[in-house]
Amino acid sequence: MKTLHEIVKSHDAIHRRTLLSSAAALAASAVVGQAAFAQTPRRGGRLVVAADSEPRNINPAIVASNGVFHVSSKIVEPLAEAAFGTPDGLAPRLALSWAGSADGLSATFRLRPNVTWHDGKPFTSADVAFSALEIWKKLQNLGRVVFKDLAAVDTPDLLTAVFRFSRPTPFQLIRNALPALTAVVPKHVYEGTDIGANRANAAPVGTGPFRFAETKPGEYTRLVRNPAYWAAGQPHLDEIVFRVLPDRAAAAGALEAGEVHLAAFSQVPLADLPRIGSVRGLSVVTKGYEALTYQLIVEINHRRPELADVRVRRAIAHAIDRDFVVKTVFLGYATASDSPVPKYDGQFHAPGLNAPGFDVARANALLDEAGYRRAAGGTRFKLRLLPAPFFNETRQFGAYLRQALAAIGIEAELVNNDAAAHLKAVYTDHAFDLSVGSPVYRGDPAISTTILAQGGLPAGVPFANQGGYQSAEMDALIARAAGMLDEKARTGLYHEFQRKVLADVPFVNVAEWGFTSVASSRLRNVDTNPRWAVSNWADVWLDA
Amino acid sequence: MSALRRFAGSPDGVVGAGLLLSFAIVAVFAPVAYPEDPLSIVGGPLVRPFVDWSTPLGTDRLGRDLLAGLLHGARTSMLVGLFAALVAILLGAAVGVAAGLSGGWIDESLMRITEAFQTVPGFLLALAFISVVGPSLPMVVFAIALGAWTGPARVVRAEVLSIRERDFVAAARVIGMHPVEIAWREVLPHALPPVVSLASVIVAGAILTEAALSFLGLGDPNRVTWGGLIAEGRTVLRSAPYLSIVPGLALLSTVLAVHLTGEGIVAALAGRRSFQ
Amino acid sequence: MRGARLVSRRLLGVVPVLAIVIVGTFFLLEASSGDAVDAYLVSTGGDRGLADQLRRDWGLDRSAWARLALFVSSLARFDLGWSVAFSRPVVEVVLERLPNTLLLMGTAIALAFGAGSILGIVAANRPGSAVDRALSLGSLAIYAIPGFWLGLVLIVVFAVQLRLLPSGGIETIASGKQGLERAGDIARHLVLPVAALGMVYLALYLRMMRAGMIETWRHDFVRAALARGLPRRQVVWRHIARNALLPLVTMLGLQAASMLGGSVVIESVFAVPGLGRLAHEAVAQRDTPLLLGVILVGAVVVIAANLAVDLLYAWLDPRVGAGPETAA
Repeated sequence: MKTLHEIVKSHDAIHRRTLLSSAAALAASAVVGQAAFAQTPRRGGRLVVAADSEPRNINPAIVASNGVFHVSSKIVEPLAEAAFGTPDGLAPRLALSWAGSADGLSATFRLRPNVTWHDGKPFTSADVAFSALEIWKKLQNLGRVVFKDLAAVDTPDLLTAVFRFSRPTPFQLIRNALPALTAVVPKHVYEGTDIGANRANAAPVGTGPFRFAETKPGEYTRLVRNPAYWAAGQPHLDEIVFRVLPDRAAAAGALEAGEVHLAAFSQVPLADLPRIGSVRGLSVVTKGYEALTYQLIVEINHRRPELADVRVRRAIAHAIDRDFVVKTVFLGYATASDSPVPKYDGQFHAPGLNAPGFDVARANALLDEAGYRRAAGGTRFKLRLLPAPFFNETRQFGAYLRQALAAIGIEAELVNNDAAAHLKAVYTDHAFDLSVGSPVYRGDPAISTTILAQGGLPAGVPFANQGGYQSAEMDALIARAAGMLDEKARTGLYHEFQRKVLADVPFVNVAEWGFTSVASSRLRNVDTNPRWAVSNWADVWLDA
Repeated sequence: MSALRRFAGSPDGVVGAGLLLSFAIVAVFAPVAYPEDPLSIVGGPLVRPFVDWSTPLGTDRLGRDLLAGLLHGARTSMLVGLFAALVAILLGAAVGVAAGLSGGWIDESLMRITEAFQTVPGFLLALAFISVVGPSLPMVVFAIALGAWTGPARVVRAEVLSIRERDFVAAARVIGMHPVEIAWREVLPHALPPVVSLASVIVAGAILTEAALSFLGLGDPNRVTWGGLIAEGRTVLRSAPYLSIVPGLALLSTVLAVHLTGEGIVAALAGRRSFQ
Repeated sequence: MRGARLVSRRLLGVVPVLAIVIVGTFFLLEASSGDAVDAYLVSTGGDRGLADQLRRDWGLDRSAWARLALFVSSLARFDLGWSVAFSRPVVEVVLERLPNTLLLMGTAIALAFGAGSILGIVAANRPGSAVDRALSLGSLAIYAIPGFWLGLVLIVVFAVQLRLLPSGGIETIASGKQGLERAGDIARHLVLPVAALGMVYLALYLRMMRAGMIETWRHDFVRAALARGLPRRQVVWRHIARNALLPLVTMLGLQAASMLGGSVVIESVFAVPGLGRLAHEAVAQRDTPLLLGVILVGAVVVIAANLAVDLLYAWLDPRVGAGPETAA
């Protein structure tokens, strides 16, 4: 069993990590996954999970974010989930099969029969149609982009849903969006109500292996087994409790005290992992986050005259020692980035990119060339650097970047805002020069990374290009790719997009990272798909 | 002079003052001993103490020298404490004198404002204030002072009320001195001593409040403070306990020194109560 | 009689104080960078239309003055308004957390006051003795430890190493315990946070009590009592301690507010769902009505505590009139 968990017990995490992200490890996991059935899962038990926040709205159809999915994915299911080793990286959930038409104007989903909602009513294509048209398209943070041209959903029978688009929409994009964007909620609960204010948003009704039981604000949210779940014999657990632990240092204590079985999303600080991994009964798991990759980027405000010069931006890219960042800030639990598409995404990552390497001399030369000579104190100019407060690592990288910039004569002053103020300062007020961001990569450039380079966005759109970078060529490229139906051609356009980003440096990609879990060794099947922490956990079980 | 002699006669005060003085020397000479930016990355991450002599006390999560942080932290932490106390006392004294001397509706409204500030927890006020203006060292100092000025204000006002009717103030009034001049020349010098004894409490409290703000991620990232070091070290409390214990000990001895010195001052001012 | 007058006079004075608190807090949060929608979008992202739509839905498109007027008018009907961060009425959210914080603060204050004053008497019994030195230095040391660090160390020692006590929370999750069993469970969960929160105040009370005792020894009435041949023990407890307790009682009222501030950190470390943590969340979420609700309820608690202290003071020291000069 232990091999399955990929336990990182030594300081040799870097080696392990590269091993994990290699294709060989992914292929091997499918085999190991079958071997797991050799041991009969034990039924029953309560799984206690550490949660560092408690979203007010846990309806994943409205709020597509990992914080919400962490809890809601057990209750409400998408049409398909990410999977290891399947042809398009997907496994069926509420849909059994999916296909797009050649003209990009329709997509057909065959739905799973004999599925009932937690309140006993049958699940049908009408629920899919309602969720798609009334919620994903109108209300969902990401669906508003992907499903913007969705005109109608035909329901020829109870188990078929045909999406009709008013403009060609690449099926590749729809497919890649299935795990995160297509949580289906019951029409009979939401129809005719104010959807945003519906009480079911805090106590969702779904089809998943667990039902919502209760929530005590500030304490916990409790889910119980759904005895009528469609997968025979699942789920194995009786209960899942998400216990709110606001302080990360305290979360490690709760794990060690045996009060919590699992802390996902790197709640235990990276620096504590070698120690906690050697605690008896606890394991560190790095697998199961492949499709939840976050990117560490430096956002640049092109309104600053210095930063409007591509040579200066290139100098900044050369000043960053990516390997050092991976080794120190992430203690090996990350990969150095060379492009706006993460390396793990074999579908879109462009081969043979010539990313700027760590080269302080070259950076200094570029700055001299741009006309920003060092003044008496060795400083060329000063900048405001705003690290996003979302992760320890974004702040720590901010501290590193300040040093790295000092080496090339740029004096950066760190501005430590809280989350709301950071959002306002960077994405609405543009009151920054450099910012450290952590966008999430969602399996398709159209819903993740192109928005960081696209021009003409109004102020106030968060996690998007607010740096004032504007290139007609880039915008045309993005638009063409968004409407390109042919998969190969579309992929090719995104390769071109990556090369264009490296040439123009609208922003700088530094590293990409998945998360780590610390789990009780009694907990089984903790890494069975690439979005494990936000999947339904029907197969998870607690050993005696 | 007798006050000074009394201070010298209290062993607590002498020990405290001695300690404080040595910390002050460290604080002043930190940039000489470590001219480098204490935030610069100089070694591998989490090097233990006494292993590598270029970083004798070890390094933190990013490979920054703990000793350099400790020395520079002495500077910022003591500045935070001193300035927070100074701002709080000046603000408090101004409010207290104005209220005590004017009386009437001015006194009434100033005291209502003071009460309002006392009903809101000082730390909560600092928290909200820093969230609003962003964490830079001067703002942190001001935020702490914002929660600490009410004590001095009340003490000063009470003293002013008791002094106001005394002969020398009445005499000054008779010879036609301006009320502000009376406040400045006659009343304040008499009202200040009890406030000074409050100072030690404020200084120690300010250093601790800065630590708590850092715990919530509201410290100034461009400066090293002991509180910030402890707050950052806490996440690796088990893996690298020295990262929070070493600055913790420094903080402890400073607070100890401040208190002992305060005790000495109280003894020197004879018979005044140290807390109000 | 005097008590009743004191209470009514106090309650009248409270109105302008609360008004200042409300308006001050409101505009402080208004002045901040980022509003509730920005705080919300942190976890979701979204396009420009979404932000505008949320601002409309949450009434944030109106002017600050309009919103303040709305809040005050609903406050006049004893309605604390709507929390956008929790999508629930503020009063529900706040009242849910209030008992936990009152329990935590009340226990911490009671223990700190009780143990602090007794240890202070012990220390003052022979000033300069080894016991006195140890207590004085020990209390200073505890005073100088940041609360969050003390809390984490307590967790490591008592929850992780010794496994004697739970590491956090207010009670065992969904345990189904009732009555006495539940009270015992809550008590077990409170031990560590109360220790972490109360230690600092214990140290403070110890030092004050010690100082007060030593000072009172010098007074004439003590010498007179001893000269009359009263036993030393009786003089210490009946005359000196009672006198030295007065400034501590004053302090008790002042500490209520400061302890509520301290509970922000302690409640985060020990995952106690209380008012302090709620206030922090309200600031982080830019949830103005919620923060106002917490601060108002906190202010009422503080004012009530002070009133209780004044009554206690008047009872302890008959010389004190019900003048406005007593502690606020």
